[in-house]
Amino acid sequence: MQRIRNLILTIIAVVLFAFFLDKAPELLNGYWQRILNLIAINAILALSLNLIYGITGMFSLGHAGFMAIGAYVSALLVLSPAQKNAMWILEDIYPWLLNVNAPFIASIIIAGIVAAVFGLIVALPVLRLGGDYLGIATLGFAEIIRILITNTARLTNGSLGLKGIPAYTTLFMSWGCLGVVLLCMVCMLRSNFGGVLRAVRDDEVAAKMMGINTFKVKVIAFTLGCFGGGLGGALMGNLITTIDPRMFMITQTYNILMIIVVGGLGSVTGSIIGSVLVTTMLEWLRFVENPITIGSINIPGIPGMRMVIFSLLLIIVIIFRREGIMGMREFSWDIFFPKAKPKPKHEESNHESVLEVEDIVLRFGGLSAIDGLNFRINHGQIVGLIGPNGAGKTSAFNVISGFYKPTSGTIKFLGKSIGGLSPDEVCKAGMSRTFQNIRLFGHETVLQNVMTGARIRQKYSWWMSLMPFVFTDVLREDSAVKAQAMNLLEQLGLSEFAEEKASSLPYGAQRRLEIARALATRPKLLLLDEPAAGMNPQESDELMKFIRRLRDEFDLTILLIEHDMKVVMNVCDYIQVLDQGIHIAHGTPEEIKANPRVIEAYLGHEDTDKETDRIIERHYAKKEGQK
Amino acid sequence: MNLNIFVQHFINALSLGSLYGLVAVGYTMVYGILRLINFAHGDIFMLGAYFVYFATIVYKLPWAVGVVIAIIGTTICGLLVDRIAYKPLREAPRISALISAIGVSFFIENFAVVVFTGMPRPVVQPPILMQPIVLPGDVRLIPLGILVPIVAFVLVGCLLWLLYRTKPGLAMRAISFDIETTRMMGVSVNRIIALAFGLGSALAAVAGILWALRYPRVEPFMGMTPGIKAFIAAVFGGIGSVPGAMIGGLILGFVEIMSVAFFPTLSGYKDAFAFCLLILILLFRPTGLLGERLEDKI
Repeated sequence: MQRIRNLILTIIAVVLFAFFLDKAPELLNGYWQRILNLIAINAILALSLNLIYGITGMFSLGHAGFMAIGAYVSALLVLSPAQKNAMWILEDIYPWLLNVNAPFIASIIIAGIVAAVFGLIVALPVLRLGGDYLGIATLGFAEIIRILITNTARLTNGSLGLKGIPAYTTLFMSWGCLGVVLLCMVCMLRSNFGGVLRAVRDDEVAAKMMGINTFKVKVIAFTLGCFGGGLGGALMGNLITTIDPRMFMITQTYNILMIIVVGGLGSVTGSIIGSVLVTTMLEWLRFVENPITIGSINIPGIPGMRMVIFSLLLIIVIIFRREGIMGMREFSWDIFFPKAKPKPKHEESNHESVLEVEDIVLRFGGLSAIDGLNFRINHGQIVGLIGPNGAGKTSAFNVISGFYKPTSGTIKFLGKSIGGLSPDEVCKAGMSRTFQNIRLFGHETVLQNVMTGARIRQKYSWWMSLMPFVFTDVLREDSAVKAQAMNLLEQLGLSEFAEEKASSLPYGAQRRLEIARALATRPKLLLLDEPAAGMNPQESDELMKFIRRLRDEFDLTILLIEHDMKVVMNVCDYIQVLDQGIHIAHGTPEEIKANPRVIEAYLGHEDTDKETDRIIERHYAKKEGQK
Repeated sequence: MNLNIFVQHFINALSLGSLYGLVAVGYTMVYGILRLINFAHGDIFMLGAYFVYFATIVYKLPWAVGVVIAIIGTTICGLLVDRIAYKPLREAPRISALISAIGVSFFIENFAVVVFTGMPRPVVQPPILMQPIVLPGDVRLIPLGILVPIVAFVLVGCLLWLLYRTKPGLAMRAISFDIETTRMMGVSVNRIIALAFGLGSALAAVAGILWALRYPRVEPFMGMTPGIKAFIAAVFGGIGSVPGAMIGGLILGFVEIMSVAFFPTLSGYKDAFAFCLLILILLFRPTGLLGERLEDKI
């Protein structure tokens, strides 16, 4: 009901706007028409950079380079052979290029594709870098592209640029392109794949543990963003009819960055509002650079003043309202109507030896984090991994879940070796985990967090999410996953929070949400890293019941790290003890309670201290003997 | 290529490289402490050049006085930038400070256009620096070409002494490890950060002055390209490491000058070398030559 209403409202708004565009040439003078065109083009550019940066979290400063590629490709395709002949004065144009021609619409699509191909080539090596390094490397690529354009005169006419490009970018063209881009992007961001993109931004490590190949996801988002950059550049070239390499300096990227920052990083609505404001402001501010005559007083124009005012405004925005106008929020028709709450529904999985760890050694340089860990877990067991601080428990988790490659040793999961698999592959094999310091996708809703966990079970490909009305699998699978996620939330007592931001939840609920998200991947084995950390006795009592219930209801096998001995002794069927990376004991809770070495590892008793020292000595002596 | 020409190229590369190094040191100090790419640093460098231009050429002060004025003036500007545009954003996500840096860079450049106009202005070089010294084998050296690396090495030497032999230097290194812990040790963190900005700006001012003498002119956008290249030099040497920044600068200088010297057809691509170098090092040794590895804690 609500969706149909919103759809109708959207269609009405689009029709009204199209009507306005139709009448615009009569209503507005050339100056305002040009601003309107620029708004649409800037919005396309901002949306595409926002996809790369605001939504997927890759700091890219290369947009100007991809715009340049798009602008040149499209211009070379729409210029007539006669024009090309006249323009290449210094060097001759390549003969094959002279007669290449394409209609405008085809040319801008090809422009986008060529930019995307370049983007893909850039992404494969560079996206392995993170943070600022990525920014600098992409900036470098944009500069290289610009230098290449300047120096390949036979292809691009070098620094002279291209002139007389037909002004094909009409209002319907630019706004039509924006409409298509916007529709695809909103659809994608609303699908579960969109949730995955934001998950990669919020916490890449946790996303990997949800079975997501984060590198692939980043490459996809980056390439799509580059397509948008190329498309925007092509439209820009056909609007101003002249292009040259100096147009695509880093300043151009900064302009787009400014739009998405002012609008709100990660918000589609924000990018649109940002481009309206920034474009209008930049054009309007031109007046300070033109001489003004008021009556008999003549105020000369001040060159450069426009950017001075503009940069001051940017600094003020970033200092006083750094989340931008929209923050991460989006426009929705729902804000005009009172809220209605949705309701959800129900579902479940089975093996003997689940996990076998043999002779795991993990070294960082000369330091041994784990030195010879052996154990196995059978189906349905709850096993505790304990030991004092720095014993190597979390390192063991990281090895088992694929974040660290063991220096030596084998890990068998459900009968198959998983040593050397990456976290997302381990997750797909049926293992999931939580983290000691909770790693949620903080900006996402509770529901979306769980849905991200379910993404690995969905069959639709990312590109289908661009056109969900054609590939209805997207809608069907997303709604199935949503129902399952709501169901999970209900089972874990989180359904009241479904629409709230994950980071706003109370601590205990965040812990449970992390478990819910892990369960959404349908694991056979669940690793819990200190689930009782920070809980009071009453809460940890509840947690014990909860862990047993989890095992029974979800047919799980559980390995947990815990410091709270009460929890460990009550909930675990079997316990493994580590100290300083060495596997010092294992047994049932009763055996462990009575084991002097364990007690001393925790308390450091004098007599047993010596005994442990002997064990550790013997361990290393044995090692030496082996060598 | 005869000896004379080779020596010319060598001196050129050495002085260009040491200028990159001087600017890179400023980037590396700020990045080491705040994890912030101070995009405005290249424009601070430009201000240094303008200060000395106005002091000596417009107001006809002696060069020594002009240089002192330029260093002090530029340092004050650098400190103001930190105080106004970065300090309010210390607790904010890093991207906010980065955007602010971009804004400051825009502001300084265009402010310079408003105040100084966009026209390049020629710098009159003191004749004493331009009188060639003739060495055996008909090798001619311009004193300026030798002065630049000497000044650069002495200044970076002083900086290293300050970093490794004095208390403020210790504090600065401590902050780059862990700002919160250093604060708890009773160090006035903001003062040390300001010191880093001040030192970086002073070195950038010296680089700006020498740059203006070498390519005898000043213009508002003169800091853009050297600024980005110096940052690349800092990344190349291992960001956060002062000796690394200097080494990175020198390597970059040599690559640029020598590749064009030996392959003149590549001269159009001169500015691309730095970026190719950057991408290669990021791919094969992301922490740079002397940088330390940072692990993401899981």
